[in-house]
Formats: sequence, structure tokens, C-alpha cells
Amino acid sequence: MNAPSIDFDDVQGTILRGYRVDYARHFVLSIDNVPAMSSLLSSLVSGTNGLPKITTALRLESKPESFLNLSFTNTGLSKMGLSDEQLQTFDSSFQLGATNPSVANNIGDVGDSAPSNWIDGLNDGGQVHLLISLWARDSKEVLESISATLASAFSGVATIILQHDANALPDNKIHFGYRDSIAQPTVKGAPPAKYEPDDQPEVATGEFLLGYKNEIGGTYTVSPTELSLNSSYAAFRILEQDVAGFNAILDSFAQTTGMETEMVAAKVCGRWRNGNPLTLSPDQQEPVFPTEQLNNFTYVKPEAVNDDTLGLTCPVGSHIRRNNPRNAGVVGTDSTHHRITRRAMPYGKVYNPQNPDDGNRGLIGYFINASITNQFEFLTGQWDQTSTFVKSAEAPGGSPAGNAVFNISGEDVFLGVNDPSNSSFTFPKDGVNGSNNVNVTGFGRTIITRGSVYCFFPSITGLRYLANLAASQG
Amino acid sequence: MTNPLTLMMPVKPDTKLLSIIEVLAENQAPIDAALSSIGTVHFARFLLLDSSVANLQPDLKDINATSDTLIIGVVTDYDGNFDAYISDFVAQLGDVFNALLAFVVGGDSVTPVQDNLAAFQAFITTNDASQHKPNDTLYAAYPQTVQQIKAAFP
Repeated sequence: MNAPSIDFDDVQGTILRGYRVDYARHFVLSIDNVPAMSSLLSSLVSGTNGLPKITTALRLESKPESFLNLSFTNTGLSKMGLSDEQLQTFDSSFQLGATNPSVANNIGDVGDSAPSNWIDGLNDGGQVHLLISLWARDSKEVLESISATLASAFSGVATIILQHDANALPDNKIHFGYRDSIAQPTVKGAPPAKYEPDDQPEVATGEFLLGYKNEIGGTYTVSPTELSLNSSYAAFRILEQDVAGFNAILDSFAQTTGMETEMVAAKVCGRWRNGNPLTLSPDQQEPVFPTEQLNNFTYVKPEAVNDDTLGLTCPVGSHIRRNNPRNAGVVGTDSTHHRITRRAMPYGKVYNPQNPDDGNRGLIGYFINASITNQFEFLTGQWDQTSTFVKSAEAPGGSPAGNAVFNISGEDVFLGVNDPSNSSFTFPKDGVNGSNNVNVTGFGRTIITRGSVYCFFPSITGLRYLANLAASQG
Repeated sequence: MTNPLTLMMPVKPDTKLLSIIEVLAENQAPIDAALSSIGTVHFARFLLLDSSVANLQPDLKDINATSDTLIIGVVTDYDGNFDAYISDFVAQLGDVFNALLAFVVGGDSVTPVQDNLAAFQAFITTNDASQHKPNDTLYAAYPQTVQQIKAAFP
């Protein structure tokens, strides 16, 4: 499939470009005055009336100080004037919304993570209409200044349900100590990234933008057509991380297995804390590889010497392998059909064991895809919460060495529900039918969902269309 | 845990038996390859039935005859969550579905299935007898998945 020609200036930037920033502020809003919202939206699209301009995927010469993007929920689009018939053409989970019980149940937002426990009114899906996210490259003053402008502009137009900051940690790290945002899909036709693309397969444009061919040869569309090209969906997630709990799990796994804590940390993730993949650094962390090499690996090889079909090096149930099996066999199709683009940042202060109750911390941001049901929800509901998706596969050498099917159990250590009564992680070892595997059980959940919103990013054309539509609403 | 699919699709009036038989025959190898690749289907049968015959078996004496009462059935036993895997099934079998749905009442509004996933899923839900009472039961002799069986018996 040839790369399609995309009008980058019509695509909201965060869908196709990662912003390298130190600060972010996310506004979750309820629209009060629809015609006034129309004016605000028009001003944001063109950057007029003193308001910041919505960022597109067209890369400018100069390095911007800030970036801005905007998305609507299903109820938000309805508020802006879309009809029920039109909304029925949208992604089915987007229509139900993140607070819907069957949606929440499917992706593991249960127990402490259930919508009833979410912060600041996010559980009231009917009131959540709009998300506006502001990213500031390196200046807190810029963040505050533009925020103040936005807050003032919201007055009389929309109520801020939630305002939540994010702040980068040194070295791209997140609160569990790992370097994040290493592997992002290379999308056909997207603006080239600053560094060389990795050697992983490119993904069809239609997996991330409506209106283009996706991996199954279809095209995701919606009605009206103005919203059906260059748009996308996302799951906006607020994920609270229990650092003490996670450290305790690592210590307990280390005790059970006899492995060093840092090796355990690498095994449950698939990468060492500095980002080096286990597949390329099997025995020790080693100094961090150059960026363009961090993602050049896969699991199944023709020769036994560097093959990892069985997950003896990078466990089959490790986080990165569950969420992107690469060329390891899975039922259904393969990983190129279920990629997501991650745009999340840490929030909260670095955990200090000397002062453990000093506040909340975690990860906040967008998981972007053209199909919430087939991408974000497939990963969280299927590959993160089950272990039966692995295809029967032997290493070169044959059956006595084992089979990948037996070398995974339970759910993802990071994103699974992980009820201690049935949680399990498998450290694969050589042996028939996984007989030598070490399974660790009894651990709990250390990432709790504190909020979630399913949102739709219109194209710039789409935003103008919505502004016009809203102008005529009573 | 294995789940049943009993998809019964009424065929458009005035359809030639031979046309359906030919499409099923020429797609047999691609279907088998796709099911093997998908890896969650234990067993699958494609059926051509005739609702005007007491035991539903079509009369093949005149293969060129047309009928107003045919039914295409797809009967399988499969692992896992059907809804979650609809896109993956279409990825591997979409063109086969399109070919069969061309014969089916209501098929035109869900094809090409690659562009109509939600409608196709709704169509299957409606016409899958196993998703509705009283036909929603299944006896399974074993709980293992296809992949677990293949791994245990290489």
C-alpha cells in the first residue's frame, strides 16, 4: 500500500506528532452555552481574539513554546448539534462512553478503578463534553499564562469539571522508574519523526486517521462527512500509580525467584528501567542504546541462538510483549492490527520513601487510535487481561524445549485487574509444557484508573464544521 | 471456554443452488487457511439448507434449479470473545463473507464487511441462534482452547 498524501494542516497535531514537553494541563469541560462555544471554538481554530491556535500536524520551522488540541465526547458532539442518527455511525464504544458499565467492565475499570471511584465528576459521563489539552515545551510561565487566557475564555461558555496537570520527569521516566514512550507506531504517510524510524512494520494510516484505508482494507467513516476525514479517537486516561505497592511486588517476586530486583523489573516490563529491551540486553541493563536502536528487535527468529519464541529472555506475559507481540504468534491476526499511539505524561511528585504520603502520582494522557473497540479496548480487554491469545509455538529445537502457550499466565502486571486471589505472572524456563516455569501469584493492582474519557478529535475542517453547527443551536 | 456460533442466514429468493455450492467450494481452501491462522476455531461447518424440506436438506437432483427457501448456515465452536475479534475475523475472512453475503437477505447492507464492521457484527448477533434462547447452550467435552490442544499434542 503506498503512503497516502495527508494534509497535515488539517490533522490535529497530537494524533501524528509527539510533543516533547515538560508541562501539560488538561481541561475537562461541560458545555453550558452552545452558541458561545461556537465562537470560542472558531477562535481556537484560527488563533484569533487573543486565544491560542489549535496545533496541527504540520511541523513549523520554529520550535513552538506550546501546543493545543481539543476533542469531544459523544455527549459533547450531541450538545454541539449532531443528530442521534449521525452519532450512531461513530465507534460503538465511543458512543457508550467510558463510564458505561459494560465498557468499564470490559477493560478492567472495576473495583477501585470503577467509574464510581473516579475523581472530580468524571463518573458523570453525561456532563463530560469536551477536553482541551495544553502542552508547554519548557516554561511553567507559558503554561500558566495560556491557561489563564483559556480559563477566562471558558467563563460563561463551559464549566471546568477537572483541570489536571502533568509534568515530565528527568530522562523521560515515569513513576515506576522506567523510561517511557519508546515504541510508537510508524504510521504510513505521517510526518517523518526527528530520528530514524525503527525496523518495525509500518501501520496503515487508517489505524490512526478516519478516512484512509486501515489494516483490514476498510475505512472508518462517520456521518457527517466533514468529521470523517483526518479525525481520530482516543481514550483519555488518568492512571494513579502506587509506587510503594509496585516496589513491594518487585521485592516479593525477587524473593520468590531469587532474581535481582532490577532483573525482575525488566522481566515484568520487557525493558530495563533505562529502556533497553531485554531482547537486546538479556543479562544486564547495559548503558542505554541510541534512540534509533531501542526499538529494533523482535521475538521470533529462525535460529535458536537468538530466538525468543518461548519468552525465556523476554517473558511472553511481559508488558511490552503483551501490548505489542511483534512477530510472536497470536490468535486472530497480529500486532499491526492493534497498535495505539501513546501520548501520556507523569503527574505528581517523584515518590520519596521517606515521605510516602505526600500526594498522588501517576500517568495522564491520550491513547490514540481510529477504532477504540479494535485498538485500545482490544489491548486492555484482551492482551492485558487474558493469557489465551498466545499461539502454540515451539522454539527452533522442537517440543522438548517447551511451547509459548504454557509460558504466560494471569494478566499484565501493570494494566491487569490483578485480584490477588487469582493474579499470576510467569517467568518462563526451559522445560516440557512449562514444567520448570516459575509462577508468582497473589499480587495486587498497582495502577488504578482515576478517570477516563472516550473522545473524538475532529480535523481542523471538522472543528470549523462543528463551530458552524453549534452557532445555530438554541 | 468454547462458545457456539449457529449463524443461519436466509438466502434471497430465486437463487441457484449451484451458485452457492460453487462459492463454498472455491473458498474452501482459503477458509481453512484463514481459520488455521485465526487459531480460535475448534470446528467449523458451512451448510446449505432448504426451509421448504421437512429435514431441511436441499434437493440436489436439479442443481441448476433456483429456490426461494435456501438458508446458508455457519456452525462453529470457537474460543474467546466474539465481539472483540470481529475485526480480526474480517481481516482474514472478509472477502469470503462478502461473497456469501451477496446471496443473503440483508447482506447488501453490511457489505463490504471491511467497511461495515458494526453493522456486520449486529447482523451476526441477530442471526446467530446460539446467542438467543432457547438455543444458547453448548456441551463441551473439554475446556482447553485450540492453541492449548495444539501445544499439548504437537
